[in-house]
Amino acid sequence: MSATDALSLDDVDKIYRPHRRAPVHAVKALTMNVLPGETVALLGSSGCGKTSTLRMIAGFEAVTHGIIAIKGRSIHQLPPAKRNVAMAFEGYSLYPPLTVRDNIGFALKSARLPKSEESKRVQNIAELLEITDILDRYPSSISGGQQQRASLARALVRQAELYLLDEPMGQLEPQLRAILRGRLKHYLRERGMTSVLVTHDQTEANALADRIAVMEGGVLQQIATPRELKDRPANLFVGTFIGEPPMNVFATRPEMSNGRVRLLIAGDEGLAFDYAEAEVGAAVRKALASRSSVMLGIRPHAIRLGQPRLKAKVLSNQWLGDQSHIAAAIAAQTIVIVAHQRIDVRVGEEIPFDVAGTDLHLFAPDTGSIIAHGGVPI
Amino acid sequence: MLRLEIRGITKSFKDCAVLDGVSLGAEAGEIVVIFGPSGTGKTVLLRLIAGVHDPDRGAIFVDGQDMTDVAPDHRGIGMAFQNFALFPHMSAFDNIASPLAARHLPPAAIRGGVERVAKLLKIDQVLAHAPRELSNGQKQRTALARALAGSPKLLLLDDPLRNVDAKLRFEMRLELPPLLRQSGSTVLYVTQDYKEAMALADRIAVLIGGQFVQVARPDDIYRLPETVQVARLFGDPTINLIDVIPHTAGNGVFATISNTAVAIGEQYRAGVGRAALLGIRPESIKISDAAAGLIPADVVATTPLNERLVTLLKTADGHELLVSQPATERAAEADRRVGLQFARDDIVLFDKASGQRLQAANGVGRS
Repeated sequence: MSATDALSLDDVDKIYRPHRRAPVHAVKALTMNVLPGETVALLGSSGCGKTSTLRMIAGFEAVTHGIIAIKGRSIHQLPPAKRNVAMAFEGYSLYPPLTVRDNIGFALKSARLPKSEESKRVQNIAELLEITDILDRYPSSISGGQQQRASLARALVRQAELYLLDEPMGQLEPQLRAILRGRLKHYLRERGMTSVLVTHDQTEANALADRIAVMEGGVLQQIATPRELKDRPANLFVGTFIGEPPMNVFATRPEMSNGRVRLLIAGDEGLAFDYAEAEVGAAVRKALASRSSVMLGIRPHAIRLGQPRLKAKVLSNQWLGDQSHIAAAIAAQTIVIVAHQRIDVRVGEEIPFDVAGTDLHLFAPDTGSIIAHGGVPI
Repeated sequence: MLRLEIRGITKSFKDCAVLDGVSLGAEAGEIVVIFGPSGTGKTVLLRLIAGVHDPDRGAIFVDGQDMTDVAPDHRGIGMAFQNFALFPHMSAFDNIASPLAARHLPPAAIRGGVERVAKLLKIDQVLAHAPRELSNGQKQRTALARALAGSPKLLLLDDPLRNVDAKLRFEMRLELPPLLRQSGSTVLYVTQDYKEAMALADRIAVLIGGQFVQVARPDDIYRLPETVQVARLFGDPTINLIDVIPHTAGNGVFATISNTAVAIGEQYRAGVGRAALLGIRPESIKISDAAAGLIPADVVATTPLNERLVTLLKTADGHELLVSQPATERAAEADRRVGLQFARDDIVLFDKASGQRLQAANGVGRS
């Protein structure tokens, strides 16, 4: 914990003890921080502990163990209203007797702004989130997606030390998503707003967050920038969870001789990812020397077509207007390849491909933890 | 394999017209994807072809024969309508075998048929399992295997990858085309996902408001959408649409965007002086340093989208534009003034009032 952190969680646990049922350890020894002005996304599938974490920060759930602090001051024993945190999420709904405009304006009351300034701010945030047409309607008469955006607007106009946003773009029509993500990111950044958002959608997390905390089974797997999560996943879970389409994974047996490093593909050892020693780096060679098997991860975008190191037989080749998705068979396994341009190969053809030594990710088969990334030691 | 043709089908429920005189042909062995937003009548159309509903008007021809008034089970076309719900008390094997068993095939033929599709769909290891013992993905594959098992001549698939997580949907999207080709069936496939439509279809039939707005090969729809609505339904992020009034200068036809005259090509001479929407896809715009002749714009924010970077920009006259580029390229810094350009060939121009694509005098948008 440090006073320079806008938010810090120190060894936080959440254990639910339902009546007559086994306790559920929803969040386990979670330690993480959020810097001033930073947007951090809690990302994971349902039941990973991300929502429990958000609710503990908000004060809707008690902390079982550990400390949550804002700017170095512990807040986890304060009631929600005393935490100076703005929230937009389920269970924190709009006031039914007020119009959307008044709901948003109500959040500004404590700021005691001149009337004209207040209505200007309401108008601005409504324009940003494309809800100007429903400002004079009541919450019960608008759709779930509109309620969500109205609730987001109400949180964003406030002055607060921290903004907690649950699936902020969840129900948006696809045609609006990219523009609203861009606007929201700019809004948060321009005002230096510190925020934590929860989502199960990695596209949303990637688009909005400076750093992403990947959670699974109540445990923080890795917290890093979107780029780092792709280039340097901490374990096989993060490696395969992050990235669309997902990382290709091969079980391999390393073999080093005659100045070559070979990763023989399990099931068909006639096939190998075969590199000169210099292509993979000394630290990787050292890590491999003591191992009889490793899991090899390769991102679909890192595969270069046309340069022969290996060959695969094309199963599908799909052009989606701005990218190609290709599935190809190698050693009774399917490898997925993505390219930004159209690829002129037919189903049934053999395509040569290459993966640079720097684009390999090696994981321990038993624990899934990372051994090496692309020749860079861990 | 069979040739399917529907002619002028109209269907209303109560007073609400769902399908309004739609016609569509599917060649033998062709995969036609019926694509459109929800509530446009896609499922109703499949059910009409399956014989679950009768059309108010119009006819359904199979291999040239009118089948409109023939009861579904007498159409003799071995049609499979995919149903998600597996029989819970039956094993995966028996579920898949059900269309074969219904035809009273000998046990050896049934076993052979089930094992063939199960192998293709990689569920041959779980055939003895009950549905509750299968993962979601295995259930999905079992349902699909059941649809394929009878080697139907016509296969009707109603959004089969709906309710499947993103990872499995992607996997299935890659696996489906070879499977469907091997089945030899003529396939009508309904989806709301444009990527699925583009990935699977020989042709896409875009159904909006009870009518086919465009029926064409995937790439033609993406590049030359008939209407603004179609343009907006394909692509992620969505196509940029900019208000312009084409004008002439010297010998060329231009559109002015943010005080910059952009040459849009001779073929749009007919659009001069009319209110139009200039459509340009985010991946077709190039960001450079600001310079004379380029459209000036300020970077608002860059939001990564898979392995692409999507940048939101605002032109000097207040238009918001999206640009999508490979993540390997350098991102534009926030708040910087940059210059935008695009190739004339990547433009689609629409009439603003009707939303229809403006065509060249010779009837082609571009060569």
